[in-house]
Amino acid sequence: MEKKSLNDSQNFSFILTKKIIQMNDVWTSYDSKSYALEGVNLSIDRGTNYAIVGQSGSGKSTLLKLLNGMMVSSKGTIKVDYLTPNTNDKKFKKMMHTIGYIPQNLGLIKNSTVLQNVLIGALPRLNKIQSLFNKFPEDEINEAKKIISQVGLKGKENRKAYMLSGGEKRRVAIARALMQKPHILLADEIVSELDHVTSREIMDLVADAQKRMNLTAVMVHHDMQLALEYANRVAVIKEGNKILEIGVEGDTIVDFQTGDMTTDEIMEMYSSESKK
Amino acid sequence: MNQKNNLIIGVIIALLVVASYNVDANPIEFVEGLPNLGIVAEELVQVDPKYVPTALWAMFETIQMAFIGTVVGVAISLPLSLFAARNLNSKFVYAPMRAILAAIRTFPSILWAILFVIMVGLGPFAGVLAIIMYTIGFVAKLQYESIETIDSDPVDAVSSIGVSKWQLIRYVVIPESAPHLLSQFLYMFDYNVRQTSILGLVGAGGIGFYIINYIKFFEYGKAAIFMIVVLITVLAIDWASVKIRDKYIIKSQHGQEVSIKTKSK
Ligand SMILES: Nc1ncnc2c1ncn2[C@@H]1O[C@H](COP(=O)(O)OP(=O)(O)O)[C@@H](O)[C@H]1O
Ligand SMILES: [Mg+2]
Repeated sequence: MEKKSLNDSQNFSFILTKKIIQMNDVWTSYDSKSYALEGVNLSIDRGTNYAIVGQSGSGKSTLLKLLNGMMVSSKGTIKVDYLTPNTNDKKFKKMMHTIGYIPQNLGLIKNSTVLQNVLIGALPRLNKIQSLFNKFPEDEINEAKKIISQVGLKGKENRKAYMLSGGEKRRVAIARALMQKPHILLADEIVSELDHVTSREIMDLVADAQKRMNLTAVMVHHDMQLALEYANRVAVIKEGNKILEIGVEGDTIVDFQTGDMTTDEIMEMYSSESKK
Repeated sequence: MNQKNNLIIGVIIALLVVASYNVDANPIEFVEGLPNLGIVAEELVQVDPKYVPTALWAMFETIQMAFIGTVVGVAISLPLSLFAARNLNSKFVYAPMRAILAAIRTFPSILWAILFVIMVGLGPFAGVLAIIMYTIGFVAKLQYESIETIDSDPVDAVSSIGVSKWQLIRYVVIPESAPHLLSQFLYMFDYNVRQTSILGLVGAGGIGFYIINYIKFFEYGKAAIFMIVVLITVLAIDWASVKIRDKYIIKSQHGQEVSIKTKSK
Protein backbone atom coordinates (compact mmCIF):
# COMPACT_ATOMS: atom_id res chain seq x y z
CA MET A 1 0.00 0.00 0.00
CA GLU A 2 1.34 3.38 -0.88
CA LYS A 3 1.37 6.20 1.59
CA LYS A 4 -1.01 9.02 0.80
CA SER A 5 -0.26 12.67 1.28
CA LEU A 6 -1.92 14.38 4.24
CA ASN A 7 -4.33 16.22 1.99
CA ASP A 8 -5.40 13.09 0.16
CA SER A 9 -5.94 11.08 3.27
CA GLN A 10 -8.13 13.80 4.77
CA ASN A 11 -10.34 13.80 1.71
CA PHE A 12 -10.31 10.07 1.65
CA SER A 13 -11.37 9.77 5.28
CA PHE A 14 -14.09 12.37 4.81
CA ILE A 15 -15.71 10.34 2.07
CA LEU A 16 -15.32 7.10 3.94
CA THR A 17 -16.65 8.33 7.22
CA LYS A 18 -19.57 10.47 6.15
CA LYS A 19 -21.83 7.80 7.60
CA ILE A 20 -20.83 7.40 11.20
CA ILE A 21 -23.57 5.04 12.37
CA GLN A 22 -25.26 2.30 10.39
CA MET A 23 -27.80 -0.28 11.41
CA ASN A 24 -28.86 -3.01 9.05
CA ASP A 25 -31.85 -5.20 9.83
CA VAL A 26 -31.14 -5.09 13.56
CA TRP A 27 -33.15 -7.33 15.88
CA THR A 28 -32.73 -7.55 19.61
CA SER A 29 -34.57 -8.84 22.65
CA TYR A 30 -34.40 -8.87 26.42
CA ASP A 31 -36.02 -12.28 26.74
CA SER A 32 -37.01 -15.14 24.49
CA LYS A 33 -40.65 -14.05 24.31
CA SER A 34 -40.52 -10.95 22.15
CA TYR A 35 -38.23 -8.62 20.25
CA ALA A 36 -37.62 -5.05 21.44
CA LEU A 37 -36.36 -4.11 17.97
CA GLU A 38 -37.58 -5.90 14.86
CA GLY A 39 -35.34 -5.27 11.89
CA VAL A 40 -34.35 -1.63 12.21
CA ASN A 41 -32.38 0.05 9.41
CA LEU A 42 -30.86 3.44 9.85
CA SER A 43 -27.89 5.45 8.86
CA ILE A 44 -26.61 8.62 10.45
CA ASP A 45 -24.32 11.23 8.95
CA ARG A 46 -21.31 12.51 10.80
CA GLY A 47 -21.90 15.79 12.62
CA THR A 48 -25.66 15.68 12.40
CA ASN A 49 -28.29 15.73 15.09
CA TYR A 50 -30.44 12.63 14.79
CA ALA A 51 -33.62 12.33 16.81
CA ILE A 52 -35.59 9.26 17.75
CA VAL A 53 -39.23 9.68 18.67
CA GLY A 54 -41.83 7.14 19.66
CA GLN A 55 -44.21 6.00 22.32
CA SER A 56 -43.01 4.65 25.58
CA GLY A 57 -41.93 1.02 25.18
CA SER A 58 -41.34 1.35 21.44
CA GLY A 59 -37.63 0.53 21.73
CA LYS A 60 -35.92 3.94 21.74
CA SER A 61 -33.71 3.36 24.77
CA THR A 62 -32.85 -0.09 23.49
CA LEU A 63 -31.67 1.40 20.21
CA LEU A 64 -29.34 3.82 22.00
CA LYS A 65 -27.89 1.08 24.17
CA LEU A 66 -27.02 -0.94 21.08
CA LEU A 67 -24.88 1.92 19.82
CA ASN A 68 -22.51 2.01 22.78
CA GLY A 69 -22.36 -1.71 23.39
CA MET A 70 -24.45 -1.69 26.57
CA MET A 71 -26.68 -4.18 24.75
CA VAL A 72 -25.96 -6.61 21.94
CA SER A 73 -28.11 -7.33 18.94
CA SER A 74 -29.33 -10.84 18.20
CA LYS A 75 -29.42 -10.32 14.44
CA GLY A 76 -28.24 -7.77 11.89
CA THR A 77 -25.19 -5.54 11.71
CA ILE A 78 -24.34 -2.36 13.56
CA LYS A 79 -21.37 -0.21 12.69
CA VAL A 80 -20.23 2.75 14.71
CA ASP A 81 -17.25 4.30 12.96
CA TYR A 82 -16.61 0.94 11.28
CA LEU A 83 -16.59 -0.99 14.53
CA THR A 84 -19.25 -3.34 15.81
CA PRO A 85 -20.22 -2.25 19.33
CA ASN A 86 -18.86 -4.84 21.74
CA THR A 87 -17.55 -3.98 25.18
CA ASN A 88 -15.14 -6.94 25.09
CA ASP A 89 -13.40 -5.65 22.00
CA LYS A 90 -10.31 -3.59 22.89
CA LYS A 91 -10.71 -1.27 19.92
CA PHE A 92 -14.35 -0.57 20.65
CA LYS A 93 -13.68 -0.14 24.36
CA LYS A 94 -11.23 2.60 23.41
CA MET A 95 -13.89 4.21 21.24
CA MET A 96 -16.32 4.17 24.17
CA HIS A 97 -14.06 6.76 25.83
CA THR A 98 -15.35 9.28 23.30
CA ILE A 99 -18.98 8.19 23.14
CA GLY A 100 -21.00 10.23 25.60
CA TYR A 101 -24.08 8.46 26.95
CA ILE A 102 -26.73 10.15 29.07
CA PRO A 103 -29.32 7.65 30.30
CA GLN A 104 -32.93 8.60 30.93
CA ASN A 105 -32.31 9.37 34.61
CA LEU A 106 -28.96 11.01 33.84
CA GLY A 107 -26.85 8.75 36.04
CA LEU A 108 -25.21 11.48 38.09
CA ILE A 109 -23.47 10.53 41.30
CA LYS A 110 -25.80 12.20 43.77
CA ASN A 111 -23.42 12.71 46.64
CA SER A 112 -20.55 13.95 44.50
CA THR A 113 -20.10 17.57 43.49
CA VAL A 114 -20.69 19.05 40.06
CA LEU A 115 -16.93 19.17 39.45
CA GLN A 116 -16.43 15.55 40.53
CA ASN A 117 -19.26 14.43 38.29
CA VAL A 118 -17.84 16.27 35.30
CA LEU A 119 -14.30 14.99 35.92
CA ILE A 120 -15.60 11.44 35.52
CA GLY A 121 -15.57 12.12 31.78
CA ALA A 122 -11.77 12.38 31.99
CA LEU A 123 -11.28 9.05 33.82
CA PRO A 124 -10.13 7.14 30.73
CA ARG A 125 -7.25 9.62 30.40
CA LEU A 126 -5.96 8.99 33.94
CA ASN A 127 -3.27 6.49 34.83
CA LYS A 128 -3.73 3.96 37.63
CA ILE A 129 -2.00 5.99 40.33
CA GLN A 130 -3.88 9.17 39.46
CA SER A 131 -7.23 7.45 39.50
CA LEU A 132 -6.51 5.57 42.73
CA PHE A 133 -5.69 8.79 44.57
CA ASN A 134 -8.35 10.88 42.83
CA LYS A 135 -5.56 13.10 41.51
CA PHE A 136 -6.69 14.76 38.31
CA PRO A 137 -4.04 16.75 36.43
CA GLU A 138 -4.34 20.53 36.70
CA ASP A 139 -5.21 20.95 33.01
CA GLU A 140 -8.07 18.43 33.28
CA ILE A 141 -9.49 20.34 36.23
CA ASN A 142 -9.24 23.59 34.29
CA GLU A 143 -10.89 21.96 31.29
CA ALA A 144 -13.72 20.70 33.53
CA LYS A 145 -14.22 24.19 34.97
CA LYS A 146 -14.28 25.65 31.48
CA ILE A 147 -16.97 23.18 30.39
CA ILE A 148 -18.96 23.80 33.57
CA SER A 149 -19.10 27.50 32.76
CA GLN A 150 -19.96 26.72 29.12
CA VAL A 151 -23.04 24.84 30.27
CA GLY A 152 -23.97 27.74 32.52
CA LEU A 153 -23.06 26.35 35.93
CA LYS A 154 -20.22 28.71 36.84
CA GLY A 155 -20.00 29.08 40.61
CA LYS A 156 -21.78 25.79 41.26
CA GLU A 157 -18.68 23.58 40.87
CA ASN A 158 -18.80 22.45 44.47
CA ARG A 159 -22.52 21.96 44.80
CA LYS A 160 -23.63 18.36 45.44
CA ALA A 161 -25.54 16.89 42.49
CA TYR A 162 -28.62 16.07 44.54
CA MET A 163 -29.06 19.75 45.40
CA LEU A 164 -29.46 20.83 41.78
CA SER A 165 -32.65 21.54 39.88
CA GLY A 166 -33.74 19.27 37.03
CA GLY A 167 -32.36 21.64 34.41
CA GLU A 168 -29.05 22.00 36.23
CA LYS A 169 -28.70 18.24 36.53
CA ARG A 170 -29.04 17.92 32.75
CA ARG A 171 -26.35 20.54 32.33
CA VAL A 172 -24.02 18.49 34.53
CA ALA A 173 -24.74 15.32 32.55
CA ILE A 174 -23.97 17.15 29.31
CA ALA A 175 -20.79 18.61 30.80
CA ARG A 176 -19.66 15.13 31.88
CA ALA A 177 -20.20 13.88 28.32
CA LEU A 178 -18.35 16.89 26.83
CA MET A 179 -15.47 16.20 29.21
CA GLN A 180 -15.01 12.91 27.33
CA LYS A 181 -14.06 14.97 24.24
CA PRO A 182 -16.81 13.00 22.53
CA HIS A 183 -17.32 12.37 18.84
CA ILE A 184 -20.77 10.86 19.48
CA LEU A 185 -23.35 11.90 22.05
CA LEU A 186 -26.22 9.55 22.92
CA ALA A 187 -28.92 11.16 25.05
CA ASP A 188 -32.08 9.43 26.26
CA GLU A 189 -35.06 11.75 26.84
CA ILE A 190 -32.97 14.27 28.71
CA VAL A 191 -35.39 17.14 28.17
CA SER A 192 -38.67 15.25 28.47
CA GLU A 193 -39.54 16.35 31.98
CA LEU A 194 -38.50 19.97 31.57
CA ASP A 195 -40.60 23.00 30.80
CA HIS A 196 -40.62 24.57 27.35
CA VAL A 197 -37.97 27.23 28.02
CA THR A 198 -35.54 25.03 29.94
CA SER A 199 -35.67 22.19 27.41
CA ARG A 200 -34.74 24.64 24.64
CA GLU A 201 -31.86 26.00 26.71
CA ILE A 202 -30.56 22.46 27.14
CA MET A 203 -30.99 21.67 23.43
CA ASP A 204 -29.12 24.88 22.55
CA LEU A 205 -26.20 23.70 24.67
CA VAL A 206 -26.01 20.52 22.63
CA ALA A 207 -26.30 22.49 19.38
CA ASP A 208 -23.47 24.81 20.53
CA ALA A 209 -21.26 21.85 21.35
CA GLN A 210 -21.99 20.37 17.92
CA LYS A 211 -20.85 23.62 16.32
CA ARG A 212 -17.62 23.72 18.33
CA MET A 213 -16.58 20.10 17.76
CA ASN A 214 -17.41 17.60 15.08
CA LEU A 215 -20.01 15.92 17.23
CA THR A 216 -22.75 13.56 16.11
CA ALA A 217 -25.75 13.57 18.44
CA VAL A 218 -28.36 10.83 18.65
CA MET A 219 -31.12 11.99 20.95
CA VAL A 220 -34.31 10.30 22.06
CA HIS A 221 -37.20 12.71 22.46
CA HIS A 222 -40.71 12.65 23.73
CA ASP A 223 -41.85 15.72 21.86
CA MET A 224 -42.04 15.60 18.04
CA GLN A 225 -42.16 19.39 17.79
CA LEU A 226 -38.88 19.78 19.64
CA ALA A 227 -37.28 16.96 17.67
CA LEU A 228 -38.16 18.57 14.33
CA GLU A 229 -36.90 21.91 15.59
CA TYR A 230 -33.43 20.67 16.51
CA ALA A 231 -32.70 17.55 14.53
CA ASN A 232 -31.58 17.09 10.94
CA ARG A 233 -33.46 13.82 10.84
CA VAL A 234 -36.18 12.36 13.01
CA ALA A 235 -36.82 8.64 13.11
CA VAL A 236 -40.20 7.53 14.40
CA ILE A 237 -40.13 4.14 16.11
CA LYS A 238 -43.19 2.05 16.73
CA GLU A 239 -43.19 -1.31 18.46
CA GLY A 240 -39.60 -2.02 17.51
CA ASN A 241 -39.89 -0.83 13.92
CA LYS A 242 -38.81 2.37 12.29
CA ILE A 243 -42.01 3.57 10.61
CA LEU A 244 -40.94 7.03 9.51
CA GLU A 245 -37.83 9.06 8.91
CA ILE A 246 -38.48 12.72 8.38
CA GLY A 247 -36.77 16.09 8.42
CA VAL A 248 -37.55 19.73 7.84
CA GLU A 249 -36.46 21.38 4.59
CA GLY A 250 -37.51 25.00 4.37
CA ASP A 251 -41.03 24.97 5.66
CA THR A 252 -42.02 21.50 4.59
CA ILE A 253 -41.56 18.21 6.29
CA VAL A 254 -39.81 15.74 4.04
CA ASP A 255 -40.20 11.98 4.10
CA PHE A 256 -36.82 10.30 3.87
CA GLN A 257 -38.04 6.80 4.48
CA THR A 258 -40.04 6.16 1.31
CA GLY A 259 -39.50 9.55 -0.27
CA ASP A 260 -43.02 10.04 -1.53
CA MET A 261 -45.21 11.15 1.36
CA THR A 262 -46.37 14.73 1.61
CA THR A 263 -46.17 16.77 4.79
CA ASP A 264 -49.87 16.31 5.38
CA GLU A 265 -49.68 12.55 4.91
CA ILE A 266 -46.73 12.37 7.29
CA MET A 267 -48.44 14.39 9.98
CA GLU A 268 -51.60 12.39 9.56
CA MET A 269 -49.75 9.12 9.92
CA TYR A 270 -47.78 10.36 12.90
CA SER A 271 -50.76 11.77 14.74
CA SER A 272 -52.90 8.69 14.12
CA GLU A 273 -50.05 6.53 15.42
CA SER A 274 -49.49 8.59 18.51
CA LYS A 275 -53.19 8.59 19.42
CA LYS A 276 -53.29 4.82 19.74
CA MET B 1 -59.06 -19.90 58.65
CA ASN B 2 -60.05 -18.81 62.14
CA GLN B 3 -59.69 -22.33 63.44
CA LYS B 4 -56.19 -22.46 61.99
CA ASN B 5 -55.30 -19.25 63.83
CA ASN B 6 -56.63 -20.65 67.10
CA LEU B 7 -54.55 -23.75 66.58
CA ILE B 8 -51.40 -21.70 65.98
CA ILE B 9 -52.04 -19.59 69.10
CA GLY B 10 -52.67 -22.77 71.12
CA VAL B 11 -49.40 -24.32 69.94
CA ILE B 12 -47.46 -21.14 70.77
CA ILE B 13 -48.92 -21.04 74.29
CA ALA B 14 -48.13 -24.74 74.84
CA LEU B 15 -44.52 -24.20 73.67
CA LEU B 16 -44.27 -21.16 75.95
CA VAL B 17 -45.32 -23.19 79.00
CA VAL B 18 -43.00 -26.11 78.19
CA ALA B 19 -40.05 -23.82 77.49
CA SER B 20 -40.66 -21.77 80.67
CA TYR B 21 -40.73 -24.95 82.71
CA ASN B 22 -37.49 -26.11 81.11
CA VAL B 23 -35.66 -22.86 81.79
CA ASP B 24 -37.21 -22.31 85.22
CA ALA B 25 -38.94 -19.12 84.16
CA ASN B 26 -41.40 -18.51 86.93
CA PRO B 27 -43.43 -15.25 86.96
CA ILE B 28 -44.12 -15.65 90.68
CA GLU B 29 -40.43 -15.69 91.44
CA PHE B 30 -40.09 -12.52 89.36
CA VAL B 31 -42.68 -10.69 91.43
CA GLU B 32 -41.22 -12.00 94.68
CA GLY B 33 -37.79 -10.79 93.55
CA LEU B 34 -38.90 -7.21 92.93
CA PRO B 35 -38.25 -5.99 96.51
CA ASN B 36 -34.58 -7.01 96.02
CA LEU B 37 -34.28 -4.03 93.69
CA GLY B 38 -35.13 -1.91 96.71
CA ILE B 39 -32.05 -3.26 98.45
CA VAL B 40 -29.92 -2.29 95.46
CA ALA B 41 -31.41 1.21 95.52
CA GLU B 42 -30.73 1.48 99.26
CA GLU B 43 -27.12 0.45 98.79
CA LEU B 44 -26.81 2.77 95.83
CA VAL B 45 -27.50 5.91 97.87
CA GLN B 46 -24.96 4.82 100.47
CA VAL B 47 -22.11 4.37 97.95
CA ASP B 48 -19.18 6.73 98.33
CA PRO B 49 -19.23 9.24 95.41
CA LYS B 50 -15.50 8.66 94.96
CA TYR B 51 -16.44 5.66 92.80
CA VAL B 52 -18.02 7.89 90.20
CA PRO B 53 -14.71 9.04 88.62
CA THR B 54 -13.57 5.41 88.46
CA ALA B 55 -16.81 4.46 86.75
CA LEU B 56 -16.44 7.33 84.27
CA TRP B 57 -12.87 6.36 83.53
CA ALA B 58 -13.89 2.72 82.96
CA MET B 59 -16.64 3.91 80.66
CA PHE B 60 -14.14 6.06 78.76
CA GLU B 61 -11.93 3.01 78.26
CA THR B 62 -14.97 1.09 77.03
CA ILE B 63 -15.83 3.82 74.52
CA GLN B 64 -12.28 3.87 73.21
CA MET B 65 -12.32 0.10 72.77
CA ALA B 66 -15.61 0.31 70.91
CA PHE B 67 -14.27 3.17 68.80
CA ILE B 68 -11.11 1.33 67.73
CA GLY B 69 -13.09 -1.85 67.11
CA THR B 70 -15.67 -0.03 65.00
CA VAL B 71 -13.21 2.02 62.94
CA VAL B 72 -10.90 -0.91 62.21
CA GLY B 73 -13.80 -3.32 61.69
CA VAL B 74 -15.55 -1.01 59.22
CA ALA B 75 -12.26 -0.29 57.43
CA ILE B 76 -11.66 -4.02 56.94
CA SER B 77 -15.26 -4.78 56.02
CA LEU B 78 -15.35 -2.28 53.16
CA PRO B 79 -12.90 -4.08 50.84
CA LEU B 80 -14.37 -7.45 51.84
CA SER B 81 -17.87 -6.27 50.95
CA LEU B 82 -16.65 -5.26 47.47
CA PHE B 83 -15.72 -8.90 46.88
CA ALA B 84 -19.01 -10.15 48.30
CA ALA B 85 -21.29 -7.97 46.14
CA ARG B 86 -23.03 -9.98 43.44
CA ASN B 87 -23.19 -7.09 40.99
CA LEU B 88 -19.40 -6.62 40.99
CA ASN B 89 -18.02 -10.16 41.01
CA SER B 90 -18.35 -13.59 39.54
CA LYS B 91 -19.88 -16.37 41.59
CA PHE B 92 -16.45 -17.81 42.28
CA VAL B 93 -15.45 -14.66 44.11
CA TYR B 94 -18.60 -13.63 45.94
CA ALA B 95 -19.77 -17.08 47.08
CA PRO B 96 -16.65 -17.97 49.14
CA MET B 97 -16.47 -14.41 50.51
CA ARG B 98 -20.08 -14.59 51.65
CA ALA B 99 -19.46 -17.97 53.28
CA ILE B 100 -16.51 -16.55 55.24
CA LEU B 101 -18.53 -13.54 56.36
CA ALA B 102 -21.45 -15.76 57.37
CA ALA B 103 -19.08 -17.90 59.43
CA ILE B 104 -17.72 -14.78 61.18
CA ARG B 105 -21.27 -13.66 61.97
CA THR B 106 -22.27 -16.93 63.64
CA PHE B 107 -20.10 -16.08 66.66
CA PRO B 108 -21.53 -13.55 69.11
CA SER B 109 -18.97 -11.01 70.29
CA ILE B 110 -18.66 -12.61 73.73
CA LEU B 111 -17.44 -15.87 72.17
CA TRP B 112 -14.92 -13.96 70.05
CA ALA B 113 -13.79 -12.31 73.28
CA ILE B 114 -13.21 -15.67 74.96
CA LEU B 115 -11.24 -16.83 71.93
CA PHE B 116 -9.06 -13.72 71.94
CA VAL B 117 -8.53 -13.85 75.72
CA ILE B 118 -7.07 -17.31 75.15
CA MET B 119 -4.95 -15.96 72.28
CA VAL B 120 -3.65 -12.63 73.58
CA GLY B 121 -4.44 -12.85 77.29
CA LEU B 122 -6.78 -10.92 79.59
CA GLY B 123 -7.38 -7.22 78.97
CA PRO B 124 -8.90 -4.66 76.62
CA PHE B 125 -6.92 -5.76 73.55
CA ALA B 126 -8.81 -9.07 73.45
CA GLY B 127 -12.03 -7.06 73.65
CA VAL B 128 -11.00 -4.78 70.81
CA LEU B 129 -10.21 -7.78 68.61
CA ALA B 130 -13.58 -9.31 69.42
CA ILE B 131 -15.37 -6.10 68.46
CA ILE B 132 -13.39 -5.91 65.21
CA MET B 133 -14.45 -9.43 64.23
CA TYR B 134 -18.07 -8.86 65.10
CA THR B 135 -18.11 -5.55 63.20
CA ILE B 136 -16.55 -7.12 60.10
CA GLY B 137 -19.16 -9.86 59.93
CA PHE B 138 -22.01 -7.47 60.43
CA VAL B 139 -21.01 -4.35 58.49
CA ALA B 140 -19.65 -6.26 55.49
CA LYS B 141 -23.09 -7.81 55.09
CA LEU B 142 -24.90 -4.47 55.41
CA GLN B 143 -22.38 -2.95 53.02
CA TYR B 144 -22.58 -5.56 50.27
CA GLU B 145 -26.34 -5.40 50.48
CA SER B 146 -26.29 -1.65 50.01
CA ILE B 147 -23.79 -1.99 47.13
CA GLU B 148 -26.16 -4.43 45.46
CA THR B 149 -29.01 -1.96 45.67
CA ILE B 150 -27.27 1.16 44.38
CA ASP B 151 -28.93 2.95 41.52
CA SER B 152 -28.00 1.27 38.21
CA ASP B 153 -28.16 4.52 36.24
CA PRO B 154 -24.83 6.04 37.35
CA VAL B 155 -23.24 2.61 36.98
CA ASP B 156 -24.54 2.33 33.40
CA ALA B 157 -23.63 5.89 32.52
CA VAL B 158 -20.07 5.63 33.81
CA SER B 159 -19.32 2.11 32.63
CA SER B 160 -20.45 3.12 29.14
CA ILE B 161 -17.45 5.49 29.10
CA GLY B 162 -15.27 2.39 29.13
CA VAL B 163 -13.65 2.99 32.52
CA SER B 164 -11.92 0.18 34.38
CA LYS B 165 -13.74 -1.83 37.01
CA TRP B 166 -11.66 -0.26 39.77
CA GLN B 167 -12.42 3.23 38.53
CA LEU B 168 -16.10 2.32 38.54
CA ILE B 169 -15.84 1.17 42.16
CA ARG B 170 -13.72 4.14 43.22
CA TYR B 171 -15.82 6.82 41.53
CA VAL B 172 -19.36 5.39 41.48
CA VAL B 173 -19.94 2.44 43.79
CA ILE B 174 -18.22 3.85 46.86
CA PRO B 175 -19.60 7.41 46.59
CA GLU B 176 -23.10 6.04 45.93
CA SER B 177 -23.02 3.75 48.96
CA ALA B 178 -21.12 6.16 51.21
CA PRO B 179 -24.20 7.65 52.90
CA HIS B 180 -25.10 4.15 54.03
CA LEU B 181 -21.58 3.64 55.27
CA LEU B 182 -21.81 6.62 57.63
CA SER B 183 -25.11 5.46 59.04
CA GLN B 184 -23.78 1.92 59.39
CA PHE B 185 -20.75 3.26 61.23
CA LEU B 186 -22.93 5.19 63.68
CA TYR B 187 -25.25 2.26 64.20
CA MET B 188 -22.33 -0.09 64.77
CA PHE B 189 -20.51 2.26 67.15
CA ASP B 190 -23.65 2.67 69.21
CA TYR B 191 -24.14 -1.10 69.29
CA ASN B 192 -20.46 -1.78 70.02
CA VAL B 193 -20.43 0.50 73.07
CA ARG B 194 -23.16 -1.68 74.56
CA GLN B 195 -21.40 -4.88 73.57
CA THR B 196 -18.04 -3.72 74.91
CA SER B 197 -19.72 -2.94 78.23
CA ILE B 198 -20.25 -6.65 78.82
CA LEU B 199 -17.01 -8.05 77.39
CA GLY B 200 -15.42 -7.49 80.82
CA LEU B 201 -17.47 -10.47 82.03
CA VAL B 202 -14.97 -12.74 80.28
CA GLY B 203 -11.96 -10.60 81.17
CA ALA B 204 -11.70 -8.74 77.89
CA GLY B 205 -11.53 -5.24 79.40
CA GLY B 206 -14.01 -2.41 79.67
CA ILE B 207 -16.50 -1.37 82.31
CA GLY B 208 -18.11 -4.83 82.54
CA PHE B 209 -15.02 -6.05 84.34
CA TYR B 210 -15.85 -3.83 87.34
CA ILE B 211 -19.52 -4.67 87.26
CA ILE B 212 -18.97 -8.43 87.34
CA ASN B 213 -16.45 -8.14 90.18
CA TYR B 214 -18.72 -6.02 92.38
CA ILE B 215 -21.54 -8.45 91.78
CA LYS B 216 -19.31 -11.36 92.74
CA PHE B 217 -18.63 -9.66 96.09
CA PHE B 218 -22.28 -8.68 96.59
CA GLU B 219 -21.50 -4.95 96.29
CA TYR B 220 -24.68 -4.22 94.40
CA GLY B 221 -24.65 -0.49 95.06
CA LYS B 222 -21.26 -0.03 93.41
CA ALA B 223 -22.26 -2.28 90.54
CA ALA B 224 -25.38 -0.14 90.10
CA ILE B 225 -23.35 3.07 89.85
CA PHE B 226 -21.33 1.58 87.01
CA MET B 227 -24.49 0.34 85.33
CA ILE B 228 -26.08 3.78 85.54
CA VAL B 229 -22.99 5.26 83.88
CA VAL B 230 -23.40 2.74 81.06
CA LEU B 231 -27.06 3.62 80.73
CA ILE B 232 -26.46 7.37 80.54
CA THR B 233 -23.59 6.96 78.08
CA VAL B 234 -25.56 4.71 75.78
CA LEU B 235 -28.48 7.15 75.82
CA ALA B 236 -26.13 10.04 75.04
CA ILE B 237 -24.51 8.21 72.12
CA ASP B 238 -27.91 7.21 70.83
CA TRP B 239 -29.07 10.82 70.94
CA ALA B 240 -25.89 12.08 69.26
CA SER B 241 -26.10 9.55 66.43
CA VAL B 242 -29.71 10.49 65.71
CA LYS B 243 -28.57 14.12 65.45
CA ILE B 244 -25.70 13.27 63.11
CA ARG B 245 -27.90 11.04 61.01
CA ASP B 246 -30.53 13.78 60.64
CA LYS B 247 -27.94 16.30 59.64
CA TYR B 248 -25.92 14.32 57.11
CA ILE B 249 -27.94 11.38 55.93
CA ILE B 250 -31.62 12.23 55.90
CA LYS B 251 -30.85 15.42 54.03
CA SER B 252 -28.96 13.75 51.22
CA GLN B 253 -31.62 11.11 50.74
CA HIS B 254 -34.54 13.50 50.57
CA GLY B 255 -32.80 15.84 48.19
CA GLN B 256 -32.36 13.26 45.45
CA GLU B 257 -34.92 14.39 42.93
CA VAL B 258 -35.75 18.05 42.63
CA SER B 259 -36.65 18.18 38.96
CA ILE B 260 -38.85 21.02 37.81
CA LYS B 261 -42.10 19.55 36.58
CA THR B 262 -44.39 21.91 34.71
CA LYS B 263 -47.11 21.46 32.17
CA SER B 264 -45.73 20.76 28.69
CA LYS B 265 -46.95 23.24 26.06
N1 LIG C 1 -34.41 -4.50 31.20
C1 LIG C 1 -35.43 -4.96 30.47
N2 LIG C 1 -35.86 -6.25 30.61
C2 LIG C 1 -36.89 -6.73 29.87
N3 LIG C 1 -37.56 -6.02 28.96
C3 LIG C 1 -37.19 -4.74 28.76
C4 LIG C 1 -36.11 -4.15 29.51
N4 LIG C 1 -35.97 -2.87 29.11
C5 LIG C 1 -36.91 -2.67 28.17
N5 LIG C 1 -37.63 -3.78 27.95
C6 LIG C 1 -38.74 -3.94 26.98
O1 LIG C 1 -38.25 -3.64 25.69
C7 LIG C 1 -39.16 -2.83 24.99
C8 LIG C 1 -38.51 -1.52 24.58
O2 LIG C 1 -38.14 -0.80 25.73
P1 LIG C 1 -37.38 0.57 25.68
O3 LIG C 1 -36.30 0.51 24.68
O4 LIG C 1 -36.97 0.91 27.07
O5 LIG C 1 -38.53 1.56 25.19
P2 LIG C 1 -38.59 3.15 25.20
O6 LIG C 1 -37.27 3.67 25.58
O7 LIG C 1 -38.99 3.49 23.81
O8 LIG C 1 -39.65 3.52 26.16
C9 LIG C 1 -40.36 -2.64 25.90
O9 LIG C 1 -41.34 -3.58 25.53
C10 LIG C 1 -39.83 -2.95 27.27
O10 LIG C 1 -40.83 -3.50 28.07
MG1 LIG D 1 -36.77 4.81 27.21
